[in-house]
Amino acid sequence: MTATLPETAAPPRAQQPARDRRPLLLAGLGAALLVCALLAAGTGAYAIPPGDILASLAHRAHLGGHALERVPESVLWNVRLPRVVLALLVGAALGCAGALMQGVFGNPLAEPAVIGVSSGGAVGAVGCIVLGLDALGSWTVTAAAFASGLLTVGVVYAVSRSGGRTEVVTLLLTGVAVNAFCGALIGLLLFTADTAAISQVTFWQLGSLSQAGWAKVLAVLPFAALGLAVAPRYARRLDLLALGERSARHLGVDVERMRIVLITVVALLTAAAVAVSGIIGFVGLVVPHLLRMLAGPGHRFLLPASAVGGALVLVAGDLAARTLAAPAELPLGVLTALLGSPFFFWLLRRTRRRQGGWA
Amino acid sequence: MTRTLRDRTRTAPAVLLAVLGLLLGASACATGRAATDPEAPAAATADPDRIEALPDPPTPRLPVTVPSADGRQTTVTSAERIIPLNGSLAELVFSLGLGDRAVARDVSTTFEQAAQLPVITQAHEVSAEGVLSLHPTVVLADRSTGPAEAVEQIRAAGVPLIVLDDAKQLADIGPRIDAVAAALGVPEAGARLKERTQRQIAEVRAQLPAAGAARPKVAFLYLRGSASVFLLGGPDSGAPSLIEAAGGEDAGTAAHLTGDFTPLTSEALVEAAPDAILVMSKGLESVGGVDGLLKLPGVAQTPAGLDRRIVSVDDGRLLSYGPRTPQVLREIATRLHRDAQ
Repeated sequence: MTATLPETAAPPRAQQPARDRRPLLLAGLGAALLVCALLAAGTGAYAIPPGDILASLAHRAHLGGHALERVPESVLWNVRLPRVVLALLVGAALGCAGALMQGVFGNPLAEPAVIGVSSGGAVGAVGCIVLGLDALGSWTVTAAAFASGLLTVGVVYAVSRSGGRTEVVTLLLTGVAVNAFCGALIGLLLFTADTAAISQVTFWQLGSLSQAGWAKVLAVLPFAALGLAVAPRYARRLDLLALGERSARHLGVDVERMRIVLITVVALLTAAAVAVSGIIGFVGLVVPHLLRMLAGPGHRFLLPASAVGGALVLVAGDLAARTLAAPAELPLGVLTALLGSPFFFWLLRRTRRRQGGWA
Repeated sequence: MTRTLRDRTRTAPAVLLAVLGLLLGASACATGRAATDPEAPAAATADPDRIEALPDPPTPRLPVTVPSADGRQTTVTSAERIIPLNGSLAELVFSLGLGDRAVARDVSTTFEQAAQLPVITQAHEVSAEGVLSLHPTVVLADRSTGPAEAVEQIRAAGVPLIVLDDAKQLADIGPRIDAVAAALGVPEAGARLKERTQRQIAEVRAQLPAAGAARPKVAFLYLRGSASVFLLGGPDSGAPSLIEAAGGEDAGTAAHLTGDFTPLTSEALVEAAPDAILVMSKGLESVGGVDGLLKLPGVAQTPAGLDRRIVSVDDGRLLSYGPRTPQVLREIATRLHRDAQ
């Protein structure tokens, strides 16, 4: 399948101003992320005055300041900050993975879930919860989600490959079938589960960062870092791939090799995110689309911007999840989709009106 | 009661309803394993999982016509073969001294005396055919017993089925004992059981620190595994009545929560500052015991976490208000006030 990304067909007139505002947009996203992260660090159900937070931050950085009392100090450093940092990493991973997926598949509907990484991860997590496995203590669910997410992508890729090549359509369809299979496995597991396990599975699937800690941050960090470091190296080649698979091949891009590398990267990024946060939809699919509508499809901009944008959405979303209904906690995955989808819809309508069509 | 709790826990946050719609067919299921699990943290203080029956078994005087909680009058003509559809009702039947007439149990019935009875719940739900196959002469159910079709089918087969109001607080124990005893034609035994239970509760309460002493704030946490959020019990969780009777203050009620369980932001737990945390033993097990619980964000920062004041009670007994409540109350009060000193 050689479908091109929609905006490549857009007239140059529409692209010119977009290119000019890219650095500005990226800087704006970065600034918004910084502000949002500081806001998230300063806000929570447990009240800590901003002055105290600054003092504690300065104290830890050996820049004067002072440590707080035991409880607020511990809340800040062991509860709130790891959560903000984890939201940032997971968001960046999901955003970047989404942009990569849409680039590799040349299809606006592609998102990491399409190749089975989320549902595969869910099978691992649900299996652990329902069967009560705890070989790795409290890390069992996380590790199982990560491993089975990767395994599922491996299966999707292996099944789609034929004669040393994969086709996008085959990959997508295999992904759809494997997703359905995973859904059935989850259903089967739920059927045998007791009610306590069912409620735990439900909460897991809704996505949440409520159990964030530094250990989870450290667990995600290497994968997020690897993915974010590798992705921009493929920006140019992804642009060429947008011209169509055959054209890209003629221009010297080893499409098959790129596909396998990037699918691996996407799988690592998403599996790591899903493992620590459960299923958080919307970010991977919509953030890259948003940015593409705002600033065109060039991957040198799109990849880093999607990472920053994803981080921004998740830090803001998690802030909302833990404060909007405080002391109750809202499910993050639900919140991002609930608030994000109408916004996306509005943007879609606007783009359509201005450019006379989406595709 | 355990069943009720589970049901409500799942359905508590309204936003989850859509997702849960898929699962609604699955009613409650219980957790028989915890009660007999020697590793259960509560085992150290828990008495063996046995029912203490009244000394002389009564003889039912039938027929009687009693009101069912769903509004109809039901006539019971024989109490030869009784099926209590959950653990809390089975506990009442056995405590009244009618245990030898019970012919089946459901999965939430975990005490020793009933262990050899056949289990008649299929997966999560009451199976009408399973119940009828044992030819009961009277069936006892709770409002939370489901599915409704099974209840109807049992009645349609001509078997008297009496629905009882769920017991959600200490004050409900007496009326519930009376209702079950009346339905089985043993009101006098009911009076004795009620008197015994109330006396035992009074004994426990007499040993509490004098009124005016500091009342520790207790958070009732519903835990299931460290991969998801924890739920804090509120006014309708069933626990406040126990906590207050044990000389504590319910943290969820104090934090102005409403309803039964609220998925809690970890910082809000710190803000609520409970002096002790009450959990079910299987829940505690699922997060890796006390040490695992203290690793969850927000727990270590509470006074309860700093002092390791964690009270765990068997799942099957904690919220099952009935003849064994005094025992549960004693466990909680002992832990709460011994640790406080």
